[in-house]
Amino acid sequence: MAEPATDLTPLGDNAALLAAEEHEVQIVGRSPTYLAWRRLRRNYVALFSLGVFLLIVIACCLAPVYARHIAHTGPNTIHSSEQVRVSGKLRQVVGGGSYYDAKTNTFVVRAVSVLGPTWWHAHGRFVLGADSLGRDVAVRMLYGGLNSLKVGIGSAFICSFFAIVLALIAGYSRGWPDWIISRFFDLIWAFPVLLLAIAIGSALQVNGFHHFGINIEPGSIWIPLLVISYVLIPYIGRPLRGQILSLREKEFIEASVGQGASPLRIMFSDLLPNVASTALVFFTLIIASNILTEAGLSYLGAGVQPPEPSWGNLIADGQDHIRTAPWLAIIPGLAVVLTVLSMNIFGDGLRDALDPRAKVRVEH
Amino acid sequence: MTGKRRWTWLLGVLAMAAGFSMMVAAYSAAGTKHKTAATKPIGTLRAVLDTIDYLDPQQAYTGQSWWAMWNVYETLLTYRHVDGPGGYKLVPGLAQSLPTVSRNGKVYKFKLRKGLKYSNGAPVKASDFKWAIKRGFLAQGQGVGFYTDIAGAEAYSKNPTPGGNIPGIIVNNKKRTITVKLVSPRGDFLTILALLFAAPVPGNTGPEIQNGSIPGTGPYYFASYDPNRSFVMVRNKYFKPNRFIPRGTPNRVEVSLIGDANTATQKVSSGQADYSNAAIPPDRIADAKSKGHLVLRQTANTYYFWMNIREAPFNKLKVRQAVNMAINRKSMQTLVWGGLGQSTQNVLPPTYPSYKKLNLYPYNLAKAKQLINQAGAKGAAVKVWTRQVSDAVTAATYYQSVLNSIGLNATLTILPRATYYTTIGNVNTHAQTGWARWLEDYPHPLDWFDVLLNGERITDQDNNNYAWYTNKKTNKEIDQLKKAPVLTPSVNKRWAAVEKQIMQQAPWAPWSNRVFPEYFTKQIGCIHIQRLYGIDLARLCRK
Repeated sequence: MAEPATDLTPLGDNAALLAAEEHEVQIVGRSPTYLAWRRLRRNYVALFSLGVFLLIVIACCLAPVYARHIAHTGPNTIHSSEQVRVSGKLRQVVGGGSYYDAKTNTFVVRAVSVLGPTWWHAHGRFVLGADSLGRDVAVRMLYGGLNSLKVGIGSAFICSFFAIVLALIAGYSRGWPDWIISRFFDLIWAFPVLLLAIAIGSALQVNGFHHFGINIEPGSIWIPLLVISYVLIPYIGRPLRGQILSLREKEFIEASVGQGASPLRIMFSDLLPNVASTALVFFTLIIASNILTEAGLSYLGAGVQPPEPSWGNLIADGQDHIRTAPWLAIIPGLAVVLTVLSMNIFGDGLRDALDPRAKVRVEH
Repeated sequence: MTGKRRWTWLLGVLAMAAGFSMMVAAYSAAGTKHKTAATKPIGTLRAVLDTIDYLDPQQAYTGQSWWAMWNVYETLLTYRHVDGPGGYKLVPGLAQSLPTVSRNGKVYKFKLRKGLKYSNGAPVKASDFKWAIKRGFLAQGQGVGFYTDIAGAEAYSKNPTPGGNIPGIIVNNKKRTITVKLVSPRGDFLTILALLFAAPVPGNTGPEIQNGSIPGTGPYYFASYDPNRSFVMVRNKYFKPNRFIPRGTPNRVEVSLIGDANTATQKVSSGQADYSNAAIPPDRIADAKSKGHLVLRQTANTYYFWMNIREAPFNKLKVRQAVNMAINRKSMQTLVWGGLGQSTQNVLPPTYPSYKKLNLYPYNLAKAKQLINQAGAKGAAVKVWTRQVSDAVTAATYYQSVLNSIGLNATLTILPRATYYTTIGNVNTHAQTGWARWLEDYPHPLDWFDVLLNGERITDQDNNNYAWYTNKKTNKEIDQLKKAPVLTPSVNKRWAAVEKQIMQQAPWAPWSNRVFPEYFTKQIGCIHIQRLYGIDLARLCRK
């Protein structure tokens, strides 16, 4: 909405005076981007959420630095038989456990104890404790976050790109290209997202993907990334196509056609800028959705493959120890909640800022 | 002796006799009381199993399914209901007695017991045994490979039809006789006949998989089966107990199938179930022990990492030896199952009479690195294969870190449980190394060496010899030992020598003989374990 021009001086007869006044008081043109930014910067909750998300991203990106200079270990390094000095006392990373007593020819049954969070009392080692194999949970959390974010953000880029291109082609061309693309969207839409992703992910985890000159090995992080991108395409593509179909009928498009603009030019210079705000909102919301899908896939074993950590497989690993070492499942769970929540709130704020009337939502 | 003394002496003897009698009477009374308490009927046993594959005798091939089915489907020969090594002894099941075996070891003659009936009241016929074997081939059951040495079975397997014949099985329903002829003698054939795959089923049973609906011959029958959720076993009123097959103590066994070990353990701890065979999470084992009865079941199993001797870098002996030296087996027991396992370097488990402990590769990381350097394998890319089961992933993750620590460049590939063995057993996969385990099918070294390490039995698909190990000398010795019908001390010695020969070539890195925790509520007593099939329903009682 433009600023009300309350301080304008009424026009006088004197042209020179008028020109002088005009020179002093000008109606400033506001671009839609500027207006959106003004609306967004008043939404403190959205900005706070963006801050939280950026903080998580920065922390995860610093995982190698933390691992190397603070924890002095890698995400997959096993320290089960080591001892760590916590507040001056030596503690076994993985201790206890049953053992076979050859003298009595029986097993002595004892529980396994795993080092809990040291909270910086061990010079930065095992800050969040160790897992059942004696790996540093904090390091794995950060690397896990890095992998989850890579998959979440990477797949959001790929997914959005293909969804926009397909929606533009379908919406602009109409006719049989629209029919084919729409049926393709319907086909994917018809499957529950997680089930479809599990099916494709599991199949690819066996032999990888070696077609069309693309070679992806089993266990590669590209598998969950591409699988998630693929299954979520219609969730952006379908609403965008609808919007483009409606824009296609507007006068400015007819004018462009009349001026002899090429289809590509109309699609990318006239239509795309008009759906850019919607696409941007979808992009932010789909990041949150993708992180959740990745966590679900990895939890079920079809996403990021062990020993590489991701928040999903860290939760899965931790659930076996939920009674004795609850932090193993709770901490990655909280990380997922915080990341998804912050991205969703920011996405909602962005939607309100860009187009308050829009009802953009990712539903599956 | 004076008269007075004589009387005193006589009275003393009488008093002693009376006292002794009273002691005996008191002891007997106490014994009777104890016995009464011990044999208190169990009523309904609520059990929790993690999973089963089938409840069809010609299809099932998991320990859990066999535990249930051992009480439902009897075989011609079976195993004694006793604890310890005695449980490996073959005894007559549906057969009247142990068979007569021809001198050349190729012909086995059985006679069925009189008056045998299925749980639906139909009589058990000699021809039902033949149908069971044919049904296995028709349904491509998992155990048909055991029966291809029966004369004509190989030909039948190529074109199985319900009307077709396996000439090596001759039956006479009137006389209740069964004669089985083999193409060549096979030392383990009696144990193969004791497998549930050979349990007779009614002649009108279709070849398709029928979970829990085939009438049984044992003390129980399956009253219901809800796939992946539960099944119920109830007493078979047509079953007549005998010396070797007793009646079970529970009237009814309600089995829930719960895959999550935490939930299964909690069910018993909270008294919602009487028994669970779930692998109790290592950090909960002490808690479980305090809340119920924890019985450790020692079964014949070996967990190992196989190294494909056809694929680089494992085509080099030094690399395989280095791997064996780099594994800290003791540490692995704790990491993988909380210490409930024994380190091993043997193929055979210690429950076998042929077992002779090997210690060829003491833990030595420095030497292992040196061997890798000598073999020129430093930095070689290695893909470690494992299946998507918690303990297998943990073990393989540790193994991958070990391979990396000695200078190899290892990555992990995790396959779904259902496709794991078929994938690594396919020649085109070129799988280099990975996780595997073997649980005995029947107590004979042939079940290990012939199936897993005889180079002559390597197949391009569904191969069990994941190391693709072959050695002319070893193969020949296995073939010769195959003909030995009885495991005499000298035969056992020869098996031990075969094992040592193999392990010197290091196609495997065996690392554990696991013990399985069986978890009961405190109300359950008289817990006895049959070495092959597990908890013995015939002897359980409620306290």
